[in-house]
Amino acid sequence: MRRAHALALTPLALMAMLAPWWLGWIAVAPNRLLSPRLAALPDTEPVTLAWAAFHVACLALLLAAWLPHRRRFEEVAAVAAMLALVATLGLGASAALPEGAPLARAAPAAGAWVALLVLALATAVAATLRGGTPTIPLLAAVVGTGLLGWAGLLDSLSLVREATGRAAELRAALGGHLFLSTSALLLALVVALPLSVLALARPGVEAGFLGAASGVQVIPSIALFGLLIAPLAALASSFPALREMGLGGIGPAPAVIGIAAYLLLPLGRGLLAGLRVAPADLLEAARGQGLSPRQVLWGVRVPLGAGVMLGALRLAAVQAVGLATLAALVGGGGLGTIVFQGVGQLASDLILLGVLPILALSLAADAALAALSRLLPSAA
Amino acid sequence: MKKAALWLALGAVAFLAALWAAPQAEGLWSALFPEVSRPAYVQESWFVLLGSHLALSLGAALLAAMLGIPAGIAATRSSGRALRPVVDAAFTLAQSVPPVAVIALALPLLGFGAAPTLLALVLYGALPLLRATVTGIESVPAQITEAARGLGLSPWQRLTRVELPLARPVLLAGLRVAVTLSVATTAVGAVAGARCLGTPIIIGLTNANPSYVLQGALFTAWLALLLDRALSLLAGPQSSP
Amino acid sequence: MIRFEDVSQRYGEVQAVRGVTFGVPSGVLCVLLGESGSGKSTLLRMVNRLIEPSGGRVLLQGQDVAGIDPQILRRGIGYVIQSVGLFPHRSVAENVATVPRLLGWDAARIAARVDKLLAMVGLEPGEYRARRPATLSGGQAQRVGLARALAADPPVLLMDEPFSALDPATRRGLQAELRRIHANMGKTILLVTHDVEEALALADRIAVMEAGRLVAEGPPLAVLGWETPASVRRMLGAETLAFHRLSALRAEDFALPGFAPGAPLLAAGGTMRDALLLMLTHGTDRAALAGEAARHLPLSAILAAP
Repeated sequence: MRRAHALALTPLALMAMLAPWWLGWIAVAPNRLLSPRLAALPDTEPVTLAWAAFHVACLALLLAAWLPHRRRFEEVAAVAAMLALVATLGLGASAALPEGAPLARAAPAAGAWVALLVLALATAVAATLRGGTPTIPLLAAVVGTGLLGWAGLLDSLSLVREATGRAAELRAALGGHLFLSTSALLLALVVALPLSVLALARPGVEAGFLGAASGVQVIPSIALFGLLIAPLAALASSFPALREMGLGGIGPAPAVIGIAAYLLLPLGRGLLAGLRVAPADLLEAARGQGLSPRQVLWGVRVPLGAGVMLGALRLAAVQAVGLATLAALVGGGGLGTIVFQGVGQLASDLILLGVLPILALSLAADAALAALSRLLPSAA
Repeated sequence: MKKAALWLALGAVAFLAALWAAPQAEGLWSALFPEVSRPAYVQESWFVLLGSHLALSLGAALLAAMLGIPAGIAATRSSGRALRPVVDAAFTLAQSVPPVAVIALALPLLGFGAAPTLLALVLYGALPLLRATVTGIESVPAQITEAARGLGLSPWQRLTRVELPLARPVLLAGLRVAVTLSVATTAVGAVAGARCLGTPIIIGLTNANPSYVLQGALFTAWLALLLDRALSLLAGPQSSP
Repeated sequence: MIRFEDVSQRYGEVQAVRGVTFGVPSGVLCVLLGESGSGKSTLLRMVNRLIEPSGGRVLLQGQDVAGIDPQILRRGIGYVIQSVGLFPHRSVAENVATVPRLLGWDAARIAARVDKLLAMVGLEPGEYRARRPATLSGGQAQRVGLARALAADPPVLLMDEPFSALDPATRRGLQAELRRIHANMGKTILLVTHDVEEALALADRIAVMEAGRLVAEGPPLAVLGWETPASVRRMLGAETLAFHRLSALRAEDFALPGFAPGAPLLAAGGTMRDALLLMLTHGTDRAALAGEAARHLPLSAILAAP
């Protein structure tokens, strides 16, 4: 078992350590429009300290993989390495930018990105080998990066400059993204919950519901959003009241409905599986005691299946955050707006500014629902 | 089985007929969207778009299979065990990143066109296939592989005559997921300049032409449903998603 | 108390119960005996309307159960099943309190009732009250199941193979417990089993089911008697039937007055079967009976038993 850790993590730790030296730590461009060139890591004391810390953390990861086990030590080391690397980049960027050149920009170079990706993978590998999910350590890395940024360590990175320059826009996009994914999740729940309860007793409803839901999965999301625009526009123009409520062909409406349609399958499957956790003889005993169908549902089926149902909700929430990215294409707002703006201008900073919060959001949604399911009293 | 194949063929013929008719049906589109001045998409032939959509998504799926299936086989050999947790971890990570984010991130590196989409396609196709290969082979009961060893089959014979045939249903289900995902992701690739059935959707959205959007969305969805039917027919009845 | 009148049940092509008519008098423990698939569980579950008969009717205290709201009906009938069916997410006390809660009793009354019942089924309330079902042994779980069924003091108890999943020693212990509780509380009990010995150990009356039909019904002795149809005797195990019959006979009823020196002593309340086993064990041809007067039972009395 120890061997599996060592075999999988050793190459990853070494790769993370060497990639920045080989493919570069940071790249500097004279301004936003010119393409960046690799720059040497400045030889100042804080920078040296930071990259030394990064290497120590990578070595700790390596060591942890070979030594007899302390739980989660590998994940802690990998997260520490990520944070030390981010600090190195931030400090390196501020030292590398020439004085008196306010337009110059510094960004992490390919080697730094590879190292970050490899460390994230190492975190996930360690979590998988432990039998868990990497959500919490990755979220810790995100929060840690946020703290470094808040402390001003990352101010010289072009991504952070972009974020400061577009703070209001970013906040609006984040709010929009949250709105899109939450309302789609709620809409899907409102549809899936009664149908699942109904499907318990009627196999016909189950076949129809899950059949339709898996049919939707096949349709590309961009096509589904597009197909919804025309009917929604027609609906809004014939019922002005709906238009006043914000419903229209372009905007959040087609996106929310479309996302909700994709969530029906994971939600419906999970809710039904959850409602079926309670074994038949237990249900029989409950009915035999004189519990009404409603009491059997809420008193026996739901508490026993809550874990499975929350798992489905978790899956659906993560999917909702990802799908909401495409809402920007139909004018629905959200972080996709920034991503597609970046795509239009071929600006990697802008693309990252959109993508990174999406990743953070999906990690946060996953972690929050996982924490909620741990709060559940277990039957055993 | 025969009947389903017949229906599929009919659906494909209807699809092609609709592609041919769409540019001619100016009257239909202007009836649906009276406010649009040029409602029929005539910039490019629909057949060209279909061809490049299929070439991109099926080519990527093929590439993904060529990467994913051998890697999955390697991960189930005793010498490749180390690969297994990395595969699982990569799969977990990839699930929290939407494909469109990968396309967007690859764009500055690879430029406009089909390349960033191809990268995302291969990545998102190879992982489920790799995973399906591993699950499929691991679901072969130990006593069967034991028996095969006892009969004197070489490792290669065990793989090709016992493990892979028994893993077939899971593998085909994985292939179906990979192709479905590939067709859908290709459509999004239009944002990054990949020419496909999604292109009219993007052009329509940027130029406020809902008629283009409808046509593109209709044909993209139609193609996806047709391919899914075809694959489920190939995979047999036991492998519905 | 319970009366089946020409009750039938069919599931599609299968006729599970065919025209069954019989009654269970008040305060009687009646065992429904039969092989699996004989329709005995189906019949039992018609009493609390978990299954609706497709023909005939079931009366409870003279009232057709079809006219009673099923939930109200079930709250007035204790129900115990083989797999116990304790709610795994609730404590032992909460499980026992299920029906009293449904009936809206106040908390103090429920708590007192729970403790009393746990003590009655032989579980120390302080130790078991807060435990989760997953921490109980099979026998303990079924004791809780019995307490739960008795919680609201229902006049009728339905038990579907309640002890079949338990090991033999635990099963005998719980059978004795049930007899004691039945003697003390005087409930009307309808119990389903496929185990002839269990039926004899518990029953005041036995109803034998075969292929959906009631083939014999009455006190144990009568059911196991020579006049019983051959098919029933075969089902009950013809070769051991004579032996089973002995368990339905009490030794005292056949005892002769007088001292039996050197004979082993039969415990009070022993059956003819117990006496025979005692004689076989000790290699004697008679057994002495416990009690005030000197009595004994000779082997000849066992052989001559009707």
